[in-house]
Amino acid sequence: MNENPMLPYLGKLVEVRDLASEIKLFRVEMLNGGGEAFKSFQPGQFAFVSAFGLGEAPFGIANSCGRGPTVDFAVARLGSVTTGLHELGEGDMVGVRGPLGNWFPMKKFKGKNLIVLGGGIGGAPLRPVIQHVLDHRADFGTLTILWAARHPSLLVFTEEYNEWRAAPDTYLHLTVDNPDEKWDQNVGLITQLLEKVTPSPENSVTITCGPPIMIHFVTKMLQEKLGFNPKNNYVTLEARMHCGMGKCGRCNLGEKLICVDGPVFNMEEVGGLLETYL
Amino acid sequence: MGKPDPDKKHWLISQSELESWLDGIANARTLIAPRLEAGLLLYRPVTKSDEIAWNRQLPRSSPSGRPVLSVKEIFFPPTEVLFSIKKTGQEIHLAESFPDWETVVFGVRPCDAHGVKLLDALFLDTNPVDSFYARRRENTTLIGLTCQSLESTCFCTSVGGAPDDAHDVDIMLIETDEGFLVEAVTEKGRFLIPGGEWKETTVTHRSSNYAAQFPVPDKDNWPEHFNDDYWSKISERCLSCRACAYVCPTCRCFAVRDETISPGEFERIRCWDACAGENYRRVAGGHKPRAEKGERLRNRFYCKFYYYPEQYGLGTASACTGCGRCIEVCPAGVDITEVLIDLEKPA
Repeated sequence: MNENPMLPYLGKLVEVRDLASEIKLFRVEMLNGGGEAFKSFQPGQFAFVSAFGLGEAPFGIANSCGRGPTVDFAVARLGSVTTGLHELGEGDMVGVRGPLGNWFPMKKFKGKNLIVLGGGIGGAPLRPVIQHVLDHRADFGTLTILWAARHPSLLVFTEEYNEWRAAPDTYLHLTVDNPDEKWDQNVGLITQLLEKVTPSPENSVTITCGPPIMIHFVTKMLQEKLGFNPKNNYVTLEARMHCGMGKCGRCNLGEKLICVDGPVFNMEEVGGLLETYL
Repeated sequence: MGKPDPDKKHWLISQSELESWLDGIANARTLIAPRLEAGLLLYRPVTKSDEIAWNRQLPRSSPSGRPVLSVKEIFFPPTEVLFSIKKTGQEIHLAESFPDWETVVFGVRPCDAHGVKLLDALFLDTNPVDSFYARRRENTTLIGLTCQSLESTCFCTSVGGAPDDAHDVDIMLIETDEGFLVEAVTEKGRFLIPGGEWKETTVTHRSSNYAAQFPVPDKDNWPEHFNDDYWSKISERCLSCRACAYVCPTCRCFAVRDETISPGEFERIRCWDACAGENYRRVAGGHKPRAEKGERLRNRFYCKFYYYPEQYGLGTASACTGCGRCIEVCPAGVDITEVLIDLEKPA
């Protein structure tokens, strides 16, 4: 690590493409020391990406290390840093600081059925989980993906759905709140889809990422209607952290710091604190 | 706690010996000491000892000699450049520079020295080490000075401190009728003491036994009050101005952003921020957790007495030094001691 842990590695954008409306995928080739630092990141970890001159912001890493050598980020254009990133193209440089935070305990998940619930851009940190499972398919039970967005144009990684659907024991369910005329899948909130799919808690873990309110209602339904034990409901949380190393104080959830104690938690750890996150 | 160790060497020096010692220090290094600036007592660089606001010359606004801002800013400045950025076409060049001046701070109040110790737990003792803070800390010697009196807002004795607590300084000075009693507390402090020039003394500081002004709730008692209505009531008067955090010796929240210096040249800076601020938790897209003032003020008090101690291994100690500055500075009369006393009351 650098002596100054706030100093990012430089990375070169080797691919920039539209993922969804106002959401782009950035594939970064790490330069000078960054390659070593990002040699073995884990599904669920995050990193800060700099748009130099505008600042940096944290993003969940959107690919599994095994699908490297690039480090991928899915970025929705929402604020000044993300707008700056959206203006960059192939060959441009970004800063990347990480990998940071804990990760999904994929070893512990071996042999279990996985239910992955992603809402909108919240699908980004779940893609490495899906990729990891597909690349080690025999290690896991069924993989059920519940993928939601407000509108079909906001669904992320659409071009990968065929790969996901084609994998053995892998099921993809899509839903949108507001369909367009071409939409032929489910309509409604992810909780309605979850109620319809009714995954069994037997030998299963869930992994959820999305807007805070979605995490709240999904985990509530998993526990209250579907009988899941909160410790089998994993979530990945976000906050507008500024350091990612437990210093800046901005991402606390009660006595926990999302950046170093998380971003991955099970609901037994944070259930009582989630209220302050909404 | 905090009484000088009787086995350690002590010296008794006069005001003029003290002044010439400090003048010598100011010649070789940066000397920072309480100094009056526009009528306010602040820790500021001095070039000569006669610029120092001595205990007998204190302004009415700081009768105890407690400066308006804590020594926090010496180690963790309000704004700090983390590195500079130069953009030429697609090329990016990053350059860093670290602080490396040697500094001596004279007249540090025990509460402020303790505040530095509490910040150490975060910036030095928890990985990764903060390189900027660490450099400043390593190159700075703290010379403590006992407080002559407690101010009406002081409550260090309730959070484990005392006006003569010598635990967290390198050298402690106790002002007595005969002169200044000097104790070298650390090796670093011993290094600054001029060898044979000073008169050694067997007189040691007779520790005054300061009693706690009021009992502070145990750390473990905080969680049960989390959902109390109390927090929204107590925060009705809060203006979310964040002054409490800026004067606090241990509030350390910061924000990081890029500033434009000239076209193509930028600096990534970090600057103080505070959890009482309305937009502190806002994320891109507009989601804003802790939207209520009560939730934010509660977070500040919980951070001092529960979160920070939990996060950075303080054991049963709190992250409040009892300096009372937040009470002094609050335009709306939010008083941390009132909160502590209320929480101790039976429900």
